[in-house]
Amino acid sequence: MIADVTWTVFLSERMGELWLRTGEHLMLTGVSVGLAILIGIPLGILAAKVRWLRGSVTGGVGIVQTVPSLAMLALLLTLLGKIGTLPAIIALTLYALLPIVRNTLTGLRAVPTAAVEAGRGIGMTPGQRLWLIELPLARPVILAGVRTAAVVCVGIATLSAFIGAGGLGQFINRGLSLSNNRLILLGAVSAAILALLVDGALSALQWGLKRQRSQGRRGRPALDRVLRPLAVAAPVLLVLLGAAAYAATRLNNSVDAWGAGDSQGPTIRIGAKNFTEQFILGELMAQMIESHADCNVDRRFNLGGTMICHRALVSGEIDLYAEYTGTALTVILKEKGLADPDGIHQAVANGYRRQFAAEWLGAFGFNNTYAVTMRRKDAESRNLRSISDLAKHAKDIRAGFTAEFSERPDGYPGLRKAYGLRFGQVLDLDPALMYQAVEKGEVDVICAFATDGRIAAYKLKPLRDDRGFFPPYQAAPVVRRKTLQDHPEIREALHRLAGRLDDTTMQRLNYEVDEKKRAPADVAREFLTQRGLLNPGDQTH
Amino acid sequence: MIVYQNITKSFDDCVTHAVNDVSLDVRQGETLVLLGSSGCGKTTLLKLTNRLLDPTSGTVIVDGRDVASQDPIALRRKIGYVFQGIGLFPHMTVEENVAMVLRLQGQSRRERRRRAHELLEIVGLKPDAYGRRFPSELSGGQQQRVGVGRALAADPAYLLMDEPFGALDALTRDTLQQELLALSERLSKTIVFVTHDIFEALTLGDRIAILHAGQLEQVGTKSEVLRSPATPFVRDLFAKPAEQLAAFQEML
Repeated sequence: MIADVTWTVFLSERMGELWLRTGEHLMLTGVSVGLAILIGIPLGILAAKVRWLRGSVTGGVGIVQTVPSLAMLALLLTLLGKIGTLPAIIALTLYALLPIVRNTLTGLRAVPTAAVEAGRGIGMTPGQRLWLIELPLARPVILAGVRTAAVVCVGIATLSAFIGAGGLGQFINRGLSLSNNRLILLGAVSAAILALLVDGALSALQWGLKRQRSQGRRGRPALDRVLRPLAVAAPVLLVLLGAAAYAATRLNNSVDAWGAGDSQGPTIRIGAKNFTEQFILGELMAQMIESHADCNVDRRFNLGGTMICHRALVSGEIDLYAEYTGTALTVILKEKGLADPDGIHQAVANGYRRQFAAEWLGAFGFNNTYAVTMRRKDAESRNLRSISDLAKHAKDIRAGFTAEFSERPDGYPGLRKAYGLRFGQVLDLDPALMYQAVEKGEVDVICAFATDGRIAAYKLKPLRDDRGFFPPYQAAPVVRRKTLQDHPEIREALHRLAGRLDDTTMQRLNYEVDEKKRAPADVAREFLTQRGLLNPGDQTH
Repeated sequence: MIVYQNITKSFDDCVTHAVNDVSLDVRQGETLVLLGSSGCGKTTLLKLTNRLLDPTSGTVIVDGRDVASQDPIALRRKIGYVFQGIGLFPHMTVEENVAMVLRLQGQSRRERRRRAHELLEIVGLKPDAYGRRFPSELSGGQQQRVGVGRALAADPAYLLMDEPFGALDALTRDTLQQELLALSERLSKTIVFVTHDIFEALTLGDRIAILHAGQLEQVGTKSEVLRSPATPFVRDLFAKPAEQLAAFQEML
């Protein structure tokens, strides 16, 4: 695939996955809205009937609504210690509650008192009044609430890809990570169309349930008799259609999807963080395992950061991923930096063996350290070579850092202490966007990754870490001990990658994906084939 | 027979009294009209009958039993109620409205339908033309016929009617009054009928109970209340419309 393939080619290549993600998206939304209806309508009734509960119920669901969606997902992730569908469904259900509860309450309170009093007068029990009078009369308002909830859910569900729950957000996330606008558009436009479809299906339900005025003796037209039940079933049909699309694509096996699907052979789940290099490393490891070990691979890529990957590994939701020694030492083990690459590999390997029942295998060979980086032109004109040089001008400098760098002990907080510097302005930037931002002059300094191909492509200059603040960041596979015990061939398969990727090679691979917009899987396959690392007799996986 | 014994009802912890120490009998088979201006306590008294309200003090006896000892749901189902305004269920067809009490009693769909048609005939609506319509598709008079039909559904011995014809035009009201008279003779129900309209009271009532500010001024037949009013209030109540009527006749 080259950079400017046409949209038709792009779409036809993605069609299989598009169905799968749409199916996932619909199921996520359907299940969540379904749960929210089951919880929300009784809550709304309770709030309508029990006056002293009204404040706490509406207040409670209202507060849930004010929690930003990403924060909610992160929070649930911590509380449940799980990635995937469960936290996503809980979060979506919580968001769907407010419109449903509020509309149930409003709808019930708007029921004409004359009708309720009449029900009382002819001897209805409170339950009969609710069931026969109040709920039917409140139904249009309640349904409107369900519609709002469903449309909101389709939107928020795009964020659940962030925690590995799949859905159309997967395209958006991957597009952001790979700075690929087509992928972003594919996800966003599909989600918007899906929202319209869901809204349409629920509006059909509303129409189907409405009892039409009879106007005298005319019976129901035959067409009407067919259409109405169909309209009532529309939302369910839509969700079933999603489930069918999902099942069909999974069965076809046309997509590398996560989730245990294949019947033959064990499945190894490989994680990756949310940036290009991690995707490539994940692919390299996946293809090696597929080629040399008799295992299926489930790619759970694009997990939102170090902590999420780490937790997923410890809880057993993934079997392995590529981690960096310096990151493991400072962020996970929370120890002081070490300068010696072999010493640090030894240190993290020991720490992980003791604390997390996980093994560090041989490093890939490159050191993806943080590099305080600026435009080469500026560095030369101001004669800046090292971070110490930069520290003198720090006040006038605008820095753009990733959110993770701003918080990590081996990031900006440590850097400030080590060099006694404080930048005039610090912006949080997405890892995929910061290179452009510094190239276009929107910031002056970024925390680039040393192996990023865009450093060279954008004419940027990494400044020397003259005080040796950053520890080495040797990337290496981290694997659960249990996985290695069950499948010792994985160790061998991954060992073949050890020392194969030096800094320049990794930069080149990253560049192929970031700038030439090639798929990480293709870039990885090409590399492995060129180096003769794939099992020649076993290319069919 | 319905007996009200020393009934007092206050909605504000006995600061004011909507009904104040009222004792009254409703005889089997008669139509008793509770007459009075708005706020006199007549609707309150009606609602005390089937426990839509409970008295602050005093006893209501229906069929020889204190209503306080009866299950309110069962009590309400054996007493027909026609509501002020209309009080039909707007989301149900005429048939469904009329047969609602039967549905509550668990009767079959077919039986409900049969009975609904019967009831619609009784109140003068063609079942085939009106049964499948919704209340909003009917005129005010037709809606009130449905209301009466609904109250009659379980063939109750008692009928409570709370200003059922208040919102209707004079001609429709007259027609419905005449039909109710015929109906009550034919079905021999015991009816308590609330109105503020003196002519309606005189037309329909076997006996008339006049309420004023929560107290019973007088109860008696038409001629008793007209010929020998017990209080100045009762005398004025009838004197005023009589003067107006005389003036009106002179104009004719």
